[in-house]
Amino acid sequence: MPVKISTRNIVKNYGAVEALRGVSVDVHEGEIHAICGDNGAGKSTFIKILAGVEQPDQGEITINGEARRFDSPQASLQAGIATIHQDLAVAADMSIYQNIFMGAELTRRVLGLPLLDKARMRKDALGYMGQLNPSITDMNAKVTDLSGGQRQAVAICRALRWNADIVILDEPTAALGVRETEQVLGLVRSLKAAGKTVILISHAMQDVAAVADRISILRTGENQIDLEGGELTADNLSHYILSGEVNRIH
Amino acid sequence: MSTRKVIEMYGTALAGLGLFVFLSIFANNFLSSANLFNVLKQVSFLSMLAFGFTFALITSELDLAFANVCSLAAVVIGFLISTDVAWPLAVAAGVATGFLAGLLNGLLVTVAKVPSLISTLGTASIANGLAFMITGGVAFVGRWDPNFLFLGRGKLGPIPVIILFTLVLFLIVLTLSTQTRTGVHLQATGENEEAARRSGIDTRRAKIIGLVLSGLAAGITAVFLVANLSSAAPQMAGDFLLNGIAATLLGMTMFTPAKPNILGTFVGSLIIVMLSNGLVLLGAQYYIQDIMLGIIIILSVAVSASVLKRAAFAL
Repeated sequence: MPVKISTRNIVKNYGAVEALRGVSVDVHEGEIHAICGDNGAGKSTFIKILAGVEQPDQGEITINGEARRFDSPQASLQAGIATIHQDLAVAADMSIYQNIFMGAELTRRVLGLPLLDKARMRKDALGYMGQLNPSITDMNAKVTDLSGGQRQAVAICRALRWNADIVILDEPTAALGVRETEQVLGLVRSLKAAGKTVILISHAMQDVAAVADRISILRTGENQIDLEGGELTADNLSHYILSGEVNRIH
Repeated sequence: MSTRKVIEMYGTALAGLGLFVFLSIFANNFLSSANLFNVLKQVSFLSMLAFGFTFALITSELDLAFANVCSLAAVVIGFLISTDVAWPLAVAAGVATGFLAGLLNGLLVTVAKVPSLISTLGTASIANGLAFMITGGVAFVGRWDPNFLFLGRGKLGPIPVIILFTLVLFLIVLTLSTQTRTGVHLQATGENEEAARRSGIDTRRAKIIGLVLSGLAAGITAVFLVANLSSAAPQMAGDFLLNGIAATLLGMTMFTPAKPNILGTFVGSLIIVMLSNGLVLLGAQYYIQDIMLGIIIILSVAVSASVLKRAAFAL
C-alpha cells in the first residue's frame, strides 16, 4: 500500500522540555498503524500536532505526498484527518446527535433561512451508530448517560461523519472494561474494513498486538523502532518499549 | 415523561402561572388592561436586556456590563438628539454604542484573556464613567421628536409598539439560539470549549458573538427606554442588572434545566415583573423587591448551577 501520511523530523519543544526530537513515521494507506511508547515518550504531543491542536517547531507532514501544515484543528479536519482524543472531547450535556454533528451541523432552507435540519441529523446519526453499535437507538440521549464504550462509539461516529480518510484514535481503550475493549477493537477493525487509514495510540500492548499492521515505538521524543507483521506480540512490544532494544525474531 | 422530569422542566413556569392566578384574585387592579400592558412593557425592557445576557451566558461568559452599557447608549442617544442630530442617526449611534461595548468585551475575553467576570466589571465601570461624563451628571430632557417617542409610547391598535417589537425580537432570538448553526456553536462552546474547538468550531468567534449580542441588546433596549421616558440619565438602566441576571437564572430552571435558554429567560422576565408589580399592588414596601430578587438569584443557581459555575470560576 502507498504511504498515506508521512512525517519527517517533527520537533516540538515546550520551553526547555524537548517533547519531540525528530519523529519520522510513514503510515500506509488502509492500514492500522499503532504508535506506542511509555509515558512521556511524546505520543500525545505527536497526535496533537497531527490533529492541528499544537504546531510543530520543525519538521514536515505530508499527506498523499503533499506537504501540509495544520494551524488549527479545522485545517487538520479539512485535510481528511479525524482525531478521537483520549478525553473524547464530547460535550457530555448535549445529545448524541448534537455531538456527532458538532461543528458540521446540517441545515435546510426555511423561508430562505438556513435552519438546523434536526430530523435529518438524528436519522444520519442513527445510520452511523448502526454501523458501530446498533444497541444505541435514542439519538436524543445525552452523552453523559452513556457508558465509556458507548461514548467512544459516539466519538467514532463523529469521525465517520467527517468522512475522514485518516482516523486517529488516542488511547481508545484506556478507561474500558474487557468487554467494552473488545467492542472498541471491533470498531477499529471496522474502520479499516471501511478503507480508512487508522493511527492507534495505545499503552495496551495486547490491544495493539491484536489489531495493528505496523507499529512505531517512541522513546524520549524519537521514534526508534518500526515493526510490522509477525513481530507484533504483546511480549515483544513491552520488551521493546522498556529496553529500547530491538530483539528481532527472525 | 416522569413526574420528576415534568417538574424539572416546567415547575418554575407552572409556579409563574400560579402566581398569575394568585395576583388575579388577591391584587386589586392586577387584571386591569392598563396594569397588564404596564407589566408587559416592563417585561419588554427586562427581557430584551436579559436575552443579551443569556447569549453571553450560553457561551459560559458573564456580562456584568450590560446595564451600564444600556445607560451609556441611552445618554449617547439623548446627547445627540439634544444637539439636533436627526433621531434615526441618534438611534443608530445608541445601538452602535452597545455593539462596540460588546465587541470590546468579546476581545478582552478572547484576545486579552481577561475572564469575563473581571473584564465586564471593568467595562461596566468605564461605561458608567463615560455616561456621567457625557451628561455632566444630569439627565437629558426636553423636546423630542414625536416619531422617536412613538417607539416607546406609541400603540398599534390597543397594543404598545414596544410589546409587539419585543415579541418579534423574542421569536428572532429564539430561532437564532435553537434553530441555527450559530446557536448550536454558542451552546457547544459554553458546554465544552475544548470539544467544540476540536470539532472545528471557532470558539473565540462564538464567545465574541455571545458578548456582542449582549452589548447589542443593551443598545437596542436603550432606544426604547429613552423613547418611553423621554429622558436619558446616566444610571437609568442600573436596576436592570440584578433583574436581568435574575430573569436569566430563573430561566435556567425551566425547559432545558441548568442551561441558559431564551424561552426560559422570557418566562423568567414575566415572573419577575409580575412579582414586582404584584408586591406593589399588594402594598409591600419597596425594599421587599430587593430581598425577593436576591432570593430568586440564589435559589435559581442552587437548583441549576452548572453553566454559571463554569463561567464564574473560569478565573
